[in-house]
Amino acid sequence: MRMNDQTSDSGPIVWTSILAVTCLLLLAFQKILFLVVPFLLALILYYLLYPPMQRLVLAGMSRASAAAILMLIFLVLLAIAATATLAWATIHLGDWQLAIERYLQGGIGLLERSLAGLEKRYSALEHAHFASTVVNRLNDATSRFAEHYEPLALGIAAWTPSLLLAPFLAFFFLKDGRHFQRFLARAVPNAFFERTLHLLSEVDRAARSYFVGLITLTILDTLTLAFGLWTIGMSSPLALGLIAAVFAWVPYVGSIAGGLLVVLVAATDFPAEPAVATSAIILFVLVRLLDDFVYMPLTIGKSLDIHPLVAVLMIFVGGAIAGIPGLMLVLPVLGVVMVIGETVGAIVSDRRLMARYSHGKALRRAQASADLATPY
Amino acid sequence: MLGLFLNKKTTPRLERLRALSLFVNLTASELNIVDALLHERQFIKDEVIFDEGDQGEAIYIIIEGSVLICRQGRPRDGQIIELGPGTFFGDLALLDNTVRSAQARAAVNTTLAVFFRADFMSLLESHGLIASKLSLQLARHIGRRLREANKELAAVHAYE
Repeated sequence: MRMNDQTSDSGPIVWTSILAVTCLLLLAFQKILFLVVPFLLALILYYLLYPPMQRLVLAGMSRASAAAILMLIFLVLLAIAATATLAWATIHLGDWQLAIERYLQGGIGLLERSLAGLEKRYSALEHAHFASTVVNRLNDATSRFAEHYEPLALGIAAWTPSLLLAPFLAFFFLKDGRHFQRFLARAVPNAFFERTLHLLSEVDRAARSYFVGLITLTILDTLTLAFGLWTIGMSSPLALGLIAAVFAWVPYVGSIAGGLLVVLVAATDFPAEPAVATSAIILFVLVRLLDDFVYMPLTIGKSLDIHPLVAVLMIFVGGAIAGIPGLMLVLPVLGVVMVIGETVGAIVSDRRLMARYSHGKALRRAQASADLATPY
Repeated sequence: MLGLFLNKKTTPRLERLRALSLFVNLTASELNIVDALLHERQFIKDEVIFDEGDQGEAIYIIIEGSVLICRQGRPRDGQIIELGPGTFFGDLALLDNTVRSAQARAAVNTTLAVFFRADFMSLLESHGLIASKLSLQLARHIGRRLREANKELAAVHAYE
């Protein structure tokens, strides 16, 4: 803040531009999702591997060697994990297919029982054959579920090469990230330099705290849910906890989907014990509260600093524009665009900075043409 | 084994940085880390580097040229000090969030290394030793300035 402040605050024009740019970016990202997803994964990998790389550089290694060694270790670990998972998955693939169908039927059974209970209370529903209509439609939809296996497998096969880009990108982020940042900063005129450095640092801070926080939050959620599910006697608590925690990456909607999944499993595994399904629901509500009041402030915190009302509205807009990727991407994209938009707005509306920029330009022009004005 | 990957290269830029008073205590590998955080900027004679009252975000180290520290908009009659190569200014910005206390202008065509406060803060978290070495140099610099100011004040009192 200058003492004789000549800056006007970012107003509705800046904010409208921020929201419009976010929507346009989501629209563009949907078209190049095969690049956006590996880019985001690479960013997460970069933020996770950056601290150990700094340790190696401090130990005397060059940035290129440190980045190469870390990436090699990561790829070896990934290959081991992928081989083990593939071997295990091949054996259990048949079981999974049966299990999915069994859990879908279990869920439909739970819904049928619940709707039948409602029909007993409200005769209008009974006259409309509400339960049988809903159950028949669901049965119809799930009977065609097997048709989705092939496109799903093809989708995974199509995405694999694109996902392999992630470690490749992360290596170059680690090796040349600073050069790139300096390269960007070099293009900025002197008058705006400090503000731009501040902007770059804010974007980096927001992205780092969001992505690293998201991973930490997923680990905490998985462990808490796994412990809770194990306590109420559910099978595969760790896998269920992990799936539900990953679902929660989609803000608001994902948590509900994760909760429904666990209730589905509870209803199928314990059809005669509705108390287990109820306990699972209570567990989810408790974990949600724990998430909002303890884990979130500890991990993601206010990294994106977005008003809750704007966040909820933008999640719906993101979903409408770009579907599930839009739901997942809208908040980090909005956070980054917000920082850039507000800083650019502050720079452009700062008359002193603009005057300094013009002055610097005039000085450069004068120096460049100093000898041209020499008389013969 | 690790020796195979050790960075034995020293560049003219690193040598030049090592000569600066702020980095004089850093080892080669520590200097490598700091170097990755520095930005180099060229300012033309009379160009404003920062204004009095600006929010300070960075410290500036003079690599080449000289810088005039003066009262806002008074480069001739409001001159405080002219700094030469190897010295640094704007150091208080690294320590707190206060505004700049004077204007800085390039006295001649000048090359500066810019060390951003956010990078210094991240150094404090990731490389405490480097940050403490830099802090020590900063404290020495500020102490020296305080002693000089005291001397000047004593001289003024003696004159009166």
